[in-house]
Amino acid sequence: MLSTSTSTLVFWFLTILIVASALAVVLLRNIVHSALFLILTFVGIAGIYILLNAEFLAAVQILVYAGAIAILVVFAVMLTRRGDISESNLFNKNYLAAGVLCLALFILNTFLIGQTFWTIKSGEPPLNNVGAIADAFLGRYVLPFEVAAVLLLVAMVGAILLARGVNQDQ
Amino acid sequence: MLQQYGIIAIFLIGGALTAIAALLVNWIIRPKLPPVGSKLNTYECGLETQGPTWIQFKVSYFLYALVFLLFDVETVFLYPWAVRFQVLGLFAFIEMIIFISILVIGLWYAWKEGALKWQ
Amino acid sequence: MVNVQILIIEILMAVFGLGILCMGLLVPRDSRRGIGYVTAVGLAVLLILAFVMRDASGVFLNSYIIDPFGNYFKILFLAAALLTAVCSFEYVEKTGMNQSEYYSLLVLATLGMMILSSSGELISLYLGLELMTITFIILTGFHLDNSKSAEAGIKYLLLGALSSAIFLYGLSLVYGATGSTVIKQIGFVVATNGASPALVLGTIFLLAGFAFKVTVVPFHMWSPDVYEGAPTPVTGFLSVASKAASIAALFRVFFVALPSLNSFWVQLFIVLAVLTMVLGNLVAIPQTNIKRLLAYSSISQAGYLLLGIVSFSVLGVGAVMYYSMLYVFGNMGAFMAATAFYNSDSSDEIEDYSGLAQRSPLIAAVMLFSLLSLAGIPPMAGFIGKFYLFMSIISRGYIWLAILGILLSMVSVYYYLMVAKSMYLGAPPEGSKTIRVNSSLQIAMVVSLLILFVLGIYPTPLTNYAMNTAVTFFMP
Repeated sequence: MLSTSTSTLVFWFLTILIVASALAVVLLRNIVHSALFLILTFVGIAGIYILLNAEFLAAVQILVYAGAIAILVVFAVMLTRRGDISESNLFNKNYLAAGVLCLALFILNTFLIGQTFWTIKSGEPPLNNVGAIADAFLGRYVLPFEVAAVLLLVAMVGAILLARGVNQDQ
Repeated sequence: MLQQYGIIAIFLIGGALTAIAALLVNWIIRPKLPPVGSKLNTYECGLETQGPTWIQFKVSYFLYALVFLLFDVETVFLYPWAVRFQVLGLFAFIEMIIFISILVIGLWYAWKEGALKWQ
Repeated sequence: MVNVQILIIEILMAVFGLGILCMGLLVPRDSRRGIGYVTAVGLAVLLILAFVMRDASGVFLNSYIIDPFGNYFKILFLAAALLTAVCSFEYVEKTGMNQSEYYSLLVLATLGMMILSSSGELISLYLGLELMTITFIILTGFHLDNSKSAEAGIKYLLLGALSSAIFLYGLSLVYGATGSTVIKQIGFVVATNGASPALVLGTIFLLAGFAFKVTVVPFHMWSPDVYEGAPTPVTGFLSVASKAASIAALFRVFFVALPSLNSFWVQLFIVLAVLTMVLGNLVAIPQTNIKRLLAYSSISQAGYLLLGIVSFSVLGVGAVMYYSMLYVFGNMGAFMAATAFYNSDSSDEIEDYSGLAQRSPLIAAVMLFSLLSLAGIPPMAGFIGKFYLFMSIISRGYIWLAILGILLSMVSVYYYLMVAKSMYLGAPPEGSKTIRVNSSLQIAMVVSLLILFVLGIYPTPLTNYAMNTAVTFFMP
């Protein structure tokens, strides 16, 4: 195990990275740059998962989010692009109201979560958490596991159906 | 366990520093003249771009990415099963067969509907 | 060995849905017309099976509950899906939508609802919710040639994703605060440890997530546009079954996991119910499009359904169960009539309904009586349903809320009768012909109308069954 101070240091580094790149996603004016910073956010979150000893989740985060979803986002941007790309991620006139609302929600959440007494589970996390996840997937959670397969299939059918409709129009 | 990730972190930081150092050294030793002429081109060597470079992509790219994403997620589900394959036994094997066959229908659908064909 | 056999209906549903999809891949595009009929027959068989197995009970792996309460809703979803399938034959044909995908998604959406309403565990519940939502997003945008349908699909996608995110955040807070995803287990933990601020926050987020699906004001914004743009049979199905499924899941989460917080969330539901009933009924008045009118009417119906939750009693649960069943036939009846009209005239505007009674007495009658049932006018079934809902809150002392509900029902009669006025008193447009309705849709409309009458005149068997089932729902 890393010493507590090192993990605290790493945590703060990752947190600043995540928050800064998430802000960049929202604030940058070029939507492709936003997408790139989104990838950085995903990678930072993968780092947090590693700090929590959830290696499998970190691998999934990199593989699915930083890999596949980021590609999809960039393709979607390039597919639907209209006009000048350097002015593609602008605010509309409601940004002030939205900002205030988000800030209020954030403060409320932080306050309530801070007020809560959390029970912290004692004991070491399992060394091989991929194995534990496999046991859960194919044991207790087999129903959601199979439903997830159906869900993925439906999503794929729908995506092909709708995207092909776009294709035929062109 | 986490110490191994420490090595990765050191590697990443080292890599970043190397790149920064290279740029820094270039900046220090280069002649400090105002840029003129072909210095201001996007590519000092090579061709000028013709027309705007931010063009609209074909929808085919998007379809491929979609199908890729779905099978990427499937891999994520397969991986833990493969790790515990020998311990989990027959029931888990059947569950996995069902899981994969549901997704194979998806692949069949994508194939048949021409999502894998480059147009 | 695990007791897989208790999941028989869900498994058959999944196999059936996937089978239809495969069938579409095997059959050439121009001979896929039969798939609709196959779907209807299959759903009818499953409906009979679900009816026969209505008293089955059991728990699958501690997380999925088969009980009479869930079985009742399964019958409801299957009935709604069957009516939708029958209603879709000509519509799908006419609009040139992809046959096999359409019916397959319809079946899989129903599967999602079943999982949503029977889950005893939050992860399964979430996956059921997502399966239902994603299939509906696709079905909403299914009519690709129609820009309104595409717009509705995108709106539903964005707001559906937002509501899912809120819901998921709520789930994570509830899990963090209680350390369990099993609903019953959460109930124990909350009862012994009391509520922490994070749990309250999670509860609010869960409520908001459900409120999106049930179209409760102020989370209703998506519904009029989506209802208007979606293919008409899909709108009917969306307004009826997805609402009932979310209400069933809402019961499981709030009545089983969080009953000890009831003094807190009942207050929230009272506010939501009042807002929903008032806004739904008042904004329905100026609508000129039948689908938008039905969208607002269905928002107001959601408000009435919330009354059953406010009462937090056996009577309330039973009343909601009864009301959602007849709501299936009332609303599907109206949407079937709207579809039949659209099939012939390609219009959803109420002014085009002028003189409909002369052109097709059947469509006009089905529309009229379905709307009267929605308004709660005796002898239609809607009257009994509203009667029980109001009884359930009066028995808890909320007399003012019942009076408000009754007053707003009076308002609803006005806009429902505006449609009737156009159909019966207006003159048919020049040169219009009589409308021919295909025989399967005719049968479905007549059956649904008959059920509305029968449930209105002789409701005892169903109300008794709903009340008894509600009692078992409360038993540990």
